[in-house]
Amino acid sequence: MKLAATNSPASVEAARKQPAIQVSNLSIVFDSKRGQVIAVDRVSFDVAPGEFVCIAGPSGCGKSTVLNTIAGLEVPFEGDILVEGAPVYSPRPDVGMVFQQPHLFPWKSVRRNIAHGPRMLGKSRTEANAIADDLIAMIGLTRFADAYPSTLSGGMQQRVAIARALANQPRVLLMDEPFGALDAQTRAVMQDNLLALRDRIKATIVFVTHDIDEAIVLADRVLIMSAGPGRILREVAVKLPRPRSSSVMVEPAYLSLKKDCLDVIRAEGLRAFNQSDAN
Amino acid sequence: MAMQDAASTRRATAIRTDGRARRPDLVRRRRLNVLVGALSLPLFVGLWELVSRSGTVNMVLFPPPTVVATAVLEWIRSGQFFGDLLASLFRVTTGFIVGGALGILFGILTGQFPVISSLLSPLFHILRPIPPIAFVPIVILWFGLSEAGKLFLVVWGVFFTVWLSTHIGVQKVDRGLIRAALMLGTPRRQMLQEIVLLGALPYIVVGLRTAVSISFYTLVAAELAGAFAGIVYRIEIAQQNLQTGQVMGGLAALGLMSFIADRLFAALAERLVWWR
Ligand SMILES: Nc1ncnc2c1ncn2[C@@H]1O[C@H](COP(=O)(O)OP(=O)(O)OP(=O)(O)O)[C@@H](O)[C@H]1O
Ligand SMILES: [Mg+2]
Repeated sequence: MKLAATNSPASVEAARKQPAIQVSNLSIVFDSKRGQVIAVDRVSFDVAPGEFVCIAGPSGCGKSTVLNTIAGLEVPFEGDILVEGAPVYSPRPDVGMVFQQPHLFPWKSVRRNIAHGPRMLGKSRTEANAIADDLIAMIGLTRFADAYPSTLSGGMQQRVAIARALANQPRVLLMDEPFGALDAQTRAVMQDNLLALRDRIKATIVFVTHDIDEAIVLADRVLIMSAGPGRILREVAVKLPRPRSSSVMVEPAYLSLKKDCLDVIRAEGLRAFNQSDAN
Repeated sequence: MAMQDAASTRRATAIRTDGRARRPDLVRRRRLNVLVGALSLPLFVGLWELVSRSGTVNMVLFPPPTVVATAVLEWIRSGQFFGDLLASLFRVTTGFIVGGALGILFGILTGQFPVISSLLSPLFHILRPIPPIAFVPIVILWFGLSEAGKLFLVVWGVFFTVWLSTHIGVQKVDRGLIRAALMLGTPRRQMLQEIVLLGALPYIVVGLRTAVSISFYTLVAAELAGAFAGIVYRIEIAQQNLQTGQVMGGLAALGLMSFIADRLFAALAERLVWWR
């Protein structure tokens, strides 16, 4: 695949091509007991092929809703979503998803879990197992290939979930707070793993998190969302060098980026506070 | 320094001897439990024998174990026992399999398809709490003393238990698993076999296990309603002839059957839900 995008001239070239994801004027309204809730309000953004975009924002601002909609899991919606140039109505095999919970099939071994996608796309058992074994080696769980999910730790389960999503070689990988349920140490390791993995798979990644540090460490670009209704407040380009690891968090360039993000969030928080005060 | 060392050594020895003292104690207690457990039945049977023969109770109504054993041997020697056993086993297993299969089938249908659930669930929820034994009179009206009537009762008892647990199991399948499966390209029409059935399997197995004992309850009702062979039928005949020994032998046989069936199913259940 020639979708590799780094912060070199290649990414400039990539950006000129058709975006991998185009979201325009996306609005989503839920019917709840207390009337209609506008979860997402006219959100628009593009993601270039191979780009790594993080969506960050407070709990309940609609991050998951946006991601599920791109995945084809949340219908109906208002606005337009194009993935690889084609509109999204339902889940597509070229779009992979990793959820906050691993959601591994408990009755399948690690290998069978990862082989599930290829099997569903019509690959033979041997082919599917070969794909699975490659991915198992990549996530470093060869010893656990025949283990059942309940015997794995949370971090290992989430690695399997990532490998399972990659087994169909998706052009777009959506990740919804995949490390949110992990402890801080495991989380840092998983972030480094993902960064290393990302250089090899070359998929376009949209990664949702409420952790601004995680967003900056991982992303080429951070979209900061605000709650009630969900909107995009600001886009922050992260021009930190790659290959990157979580140790980038002590560099001055990182800190100044983080300050920018926090300023935006604080201003929004204050505005929301004053508004609720006035009401 | 030296004093501190001595103190800590003393503490260490104290802990060590304490541990050493506690462990044999545990072993001894466990051995005692095994011994008492092994003595439980002989003790009970011996006491029963003594009480029966003491003259304080009517030996005809409360025969000692030796008399019960003789009655059972007689039962076996007459050749009736195996006929009775087979008749009862046939009713229980056929009823269990038919009722279980129907229960699983309808549980999947009502659990998976809201329209079918709206149609059938209210009816099932009204019929389910009626004890199967209450159907004996109408079953006699409908089926007479035929085998079909007996199967009907067992099937009836098993069906609702298995239906309800299957229905709940299907409903409780983790939505996250279904979303994950969708994202991996699982077609919706394959969702049942790929995810829903396996997700519901632990519930189905629990329902089936409960149904094992229910099938024995309903067997009793079915055979008391009138039969020509069967363990419970024989108990009833023996009762009419005041052969209390055989009555008790029949009860023991029924208990043993039910116990073995439950154990067999427990072993099977472990294999059915293989990922646990
Ligand atoms: N199925 C639904 N029905 C009604 N309201 C919903 C539904 N799903 C989400 N919402 C509402 O939409 C808003 C956005 O929810 P969403 O789950 O997308 O937030 P989030 O940013 O992912 O939050 P978190 O960080 O806690 O995961 C919330 O106010 C939520 O209550
Ligand atoms: Mg969320």
